[in-house]
Amino acid sequence: MTIFTCFNQFEDMMTCIYDAWDSKLGHKNIRLLTEPVGNLELFCDYLHVDADKKKTASVINSIQNKISFEAYQMVFRCAMSQVPDKLDVIYRFLLFGFTYGSKVVNMLQIPAVSAIFEVNRSVLNEAHQFQEFLRFTLMQDNVLVSHIEPRSDILTFLAPQFEDRMPSENWMIIDDNRKTAVVHPTNSEFYLTSLSNEEFDRLKLLEDHSDPYIDLWKGFFETIGIKERKNYKCQRNHIPLWCRKHVTEF
Amino acid sequence: MKILSDELSLQEKLNILADAAKYDVACTSSGVDRRGQKGSLGNSCAAGICHSFASDGRCISLLKILQSNACVYDCKYCLNRSSNDRVRATFKPEEVCQLVIEFYRRNYIEGLFLSSGVCKNPSYTMELMYRTIYLLRYQYHFNGYIHVKAIPNAPEELLEQMGYLVDRMSINLELPTAEGLKKLAPHKTQTAILKPMGQIQHRIADYRLSIGKDSRMERSGGNRYLSGNIFDSSPKYIKENHQYPQVSTFHSPSSEKPAPFVPAGQSTQMIIGATEENDYQLLTTSQQLYQQYDLKRVFYSAYIPLNEDLDLPSMDTAPPLLREHRLYQADWLLRYYGFHAEELLSIDRPNFNVLLDPKCDWALRHLEQFPVEINRADYATLLKVPGIGTKSAMRIVKSRRTGVLTFDSLKKIGVVLKRAKYFITCQGRMMYHIRINEDFITRQLIGEDYQKSWEIDHPDSYRQLSLFDDQMFQIQPNTTDVQQTVSGQL
Repeated sequence: MTIFTCFNQFEDMMTCIYDAWDSKLGHKNIRLLTEPVGNLELFCDYLHVDADKKKTASVINSIQNKISFEAYQMVFRCAMSQVPDKLDVIYRFLLFGFTYGSKVVNMLQIPAVSAIFEVNRSVLNEAHQFQEFLRFTLMQDNVLVSHIEPRSDILTFLAPQFEDRMPSENWMIIDDNRKTAVVHPTNSEFYLTSLSNEEFDRLKLLEDHSDPYIDLWKGFFETIGIKERKNYKCQRNHIPLWCRKHVTEF
Repeated sequence: MKILSDELSLQEKLNILADAAKYDVACTSSGVDRRGQKGSLGNSCAAGICHSFASDGRCISLLKILQSNACVYDCKYCLNRSSNDRVRATFKPEEVCQLVIEFYRRNYIEGLFLSSGVCKNPSYTMELMYRTIYLLRYQYHFNGYIHVKAIPNAPEELLEQMGYLVDRMSINLELPTAEGLKKLAPHKTQTAILKPMGQIQHRIADYRLSIGKDSRMERSGGNRYLSGNIFDSSPKYIKENHQYPQVSTFHSPSSEKPAPFVPAGQSTQMIIGATEENDYQLLTTSQQLYQQYDLKRVFYSAYIPLNEDLDLPSMDTAPPLLREHRLYQADWLLRYYGFHAEELLSIDRPNFNVLLDPKCDWALRHLEQFPVEINRADYATLLKVPGIGTKSAMRIVKSRRTGVLTFDSLKKIGVVLKRAKYFITCQGRMMYHIRINEDFITRQLIGEDYQKSWEIDHPDSYRQLSLFDDQMFQIQPNTTDVQQTVSGQL
């Protein structure tokens, strides 16, 4: 068994897929993993792959041309998830994808397809959850700042949604787990950036709670619940505890 | 009565007027897609976005407040009735706008839900609300979702102008029958409620026809594959009836695009359990509202005793939460699953089964139509299987085009087999060897669902963990068992 490994970046992953395919070792004899690799297995060769622009472009192109754009979106979303064997899930999906073409996305009876479908759904659900539950705090200079700690890397899905929602505001969303941020200056396009440690620490301090609307909102949140119907189980079903880290009202 | 509105702080006003609005249902933000615009704040998403969940588990997606909780009416069930001694407050239009804008920017809410007590008279109240919404749209440039409760007996013109500013309008039906309304809300009449509802419906239809759409509101995509649903069998809005809006012929058509009128449709709400109506009456009323007034939704709210009155249930009545739940389940069956009210209930069986959801209940009475073959049955038939929803049915239809489905692949697709397994076959085989026998399947299903139903009606109680499953229906011991116990053999 040969195991191809690469860093947890989209470009690296695409290159890794290219190299694994190109190795001609037989699909049964290889596996793909993202680093950090936990326990090493016996009787396995580990091959580290580094990102390569050309190979990445070639993989992306062939997914879009030979399968479909929808399939490419699925692959991308899957790559953003936190599932440990996501790269292998993508690879197995692509095997069928290149055989069957665009109709593969509906062939849920194939285990490899339903696996990527499931990962996709969880990433999309998480992106939706954070669209609902992330909270901005108003800083000086009229900047809205939000900290989130999602499981998957969902900033790329959140940014367009919030750009449409608040096109004329200055805002930024910071992913505390990955130390990346999306920045949107008023009336212009957003950009994604990774934060250095000192930038991150400085931004961390910005999460202050002196905004007067926080209290107004908390008051509203308390009053709007009907005590005769209170049902914390239902509440936790809809907004799980792990989602509540930076939510103002909890 | 205390009138303090000038001395109250914004926080106090917000708390009073949110508290007074919390019994309104319909905190949804769905039904219309609208892109954001540079220079204004907000967009709108047809699927709806909830931003939080209150301690009662209900979603908070809109800033749900009253413009004023002063009310000249004396509806017996209402907290704000004129004979109640309560602190009264009224929002100034600017205060509401400020709250909406600031909350929206912080991603607390998806928009505004504005209702009001009848302050002075219906026209005065409606005018105040109109000023608020106008300011919010044109001065604060708010482009998000707005839902307004129309006040019955307000002037028609005001209602119409409001319709061009908001996404959804609703008028509360309050109680499903005219008699109930007479008894509990003496100032309201069913005609005063239904007339503006009809007016709004006609304006919506006019707008929709003028942009080349069907006069009826769209439902989900899946509804297109359903023939004979409640919307099909309802009288159609006749095109001749339609008056095209007055458009000046000197402009090119594109510059005079008609302004959308209540694009997310209208809704209404009914109180469940304050009067003696049965579920059959409630459900047929909803069906008629959907058919005749093309409502987007009907909401049900379990009656919570707030006032003491001879005509009302006593103060210690628990809100009928399970009944409300069953009605919502049936309501979805009407709108998305092609069921009719008469199929689910009848005059002889006027109430829902407490132990089973309406679809299971229906399926058990129609076992001759089951089992259904997953690989062949059409979309409409799949929808009638308990445990298969619109999403699963769509996935089944799509994925079986390319290959045969088995129980394993159904699980992978996300079909919950807990209930479905009694009613389906894959390639002619059932999942287990199951007898298609009403009593047997009923027992199985009730055993699984009883605890869930119990929890809905008793949301706040906990049960001690027990070795014996005392929530299940147990088989009575037979004579041999009794004999054995007596003789010490057991």
